[in-house]
Amino acid sequence: MSWPAGYGRRVLDEVDSTMTEAARVADALAGPEWIMARRQSAARGRRGRPWRDPGGNFAATLVMRTPGGPGQAALRSFTTALALREAFAALTHAPEALALKWPNDVLVNGGKAAGILLETVGARGGSLAIGVGVNLISAPGADAVEPGAVPPVSLLAETGLRIEPEAMLDALATAFAAWEDRLVTYGFAPVRTAWLSHAARLGEVVTARLPQDRIEGIFETVDESGAIVLKTAQGRRAIAAADIFF
Amino acid sequence: MSKEKHDADVAFIKALAELLRENDLTELQVKRDYAEDDSLNVRVSRHHPAPVQHKQVAPMAQPQAHAPGPRTEAAAPEAPEDPAAHPGAVTSPMVGTVYMQAEPGAPAFISVGQSVKEGDTLLIVEAMKTMNHIPAPRAGTIKRILVEDGAPVEYGAPLVILE
Repeated sequence: MSWPAGYGRRVLDEVDSTMTEAARVADALAGPEWIMARRQSAARGRRGRPWRDPGGNFAATLVMRTPGGPGQAALRSFTTALALREAFAALTHAPEALALKWPNDVLVNGGKAAGILLETVGARGGSLAIGVGVNLISAPGADAVEPGAVPPVSLLAETGLRIEPEAMLDALATAFAAWEDRLVTYGFAPVRTAWLSHAARLGEVVTARLPQDRIEGIFETVDESGAIVLKTAQGRRAIAAADIFF
Repeated sequence: MSKEKHDADVAFIKALAELLRENDLTELQVKRDYAEDDSLNVRVSRHHPAPVQHKQVAPMAQPQAHAPGPRTEAAAPEAPEDPAAHPGAVTSPMVGTVYMQAEPGAPAFISVGQSVKEGDTLLIVEAMKTMNHIPAPRAGTIKRILVEDGAPVEYGAPLVILE
């Protein structure tokens, strides 16, 4: 497996969290760098949700200069999800089992096999940290997630394949670099089209849960800013931040 | 006078009124030239000591409009103020959801009266699962927090007043 030009690659035996490590090194980096850890002692998910790390799973963070404004940074949710889907397809040879859930969940046989977390870090939010966790060999129980959320699954249980973390890193970094190039060169349009071609539940009724609201509607599309567009009884709603439930 | 111009004048006068109150001045007079033969003259004065309650934001504003056209109605003190027009407003760079702390249960990044350095995180705006830390554009004191945890915000919405 090749490694993309221009990207650093650092593999640690253990760290508190690759996201925390990314924040520590962000300001000193000359270029984008992938930081992988074989074990995290203080792994975390979005909004402080615990992310279990029993060992053998994949945990890495890409840290890069924040590309353009915050709106541009958020589009990396889609390129990262597309890259991770490609990496899964390349390593498992089972693309038909894969689907995307807005904005950046990669589903394997309808279950959640990975988590992606993006956060601006460094001085004045000048860097973007993209954290990717993959359940390679083990997944938390269904009781670890909110009721109604897609159940956690592992690639091993779903495909019978035992994938090494470093193989996942190489496949992911290669696919990400290609999607990043497309986004920078052609804009969001091709990314959006590709993402929609793999979207789960497009055209079906989904529920968007916001901290202070709950919106049900038909999942119509994703708009040019990346917001999910639901056709509701009150009309079309473009939603930039929500948890989607099927 | 156009609606936009009227609104701009109201915002301008309100900003002056706030300046007056916060700097404990008794009178402020400003002439703003829009074009030749089109200017706005405002004199804002206050006859009482600085009000203690935060509610009493609108001081006795006495704008005096000169030709062309009467602009005096622009100073209606009961009109709601527009924090977005405040010179100290920090606005949202994107549509999303506001979080006041790094994670649930953690202390809030800021509180009213707190001093911040340039670059300090004021709050987070999330969109597309991307946590954008909004940095203080300059050093100053948090005068007001205009959003609550978990609230949706639009592009350009005022988040905090930093002076």
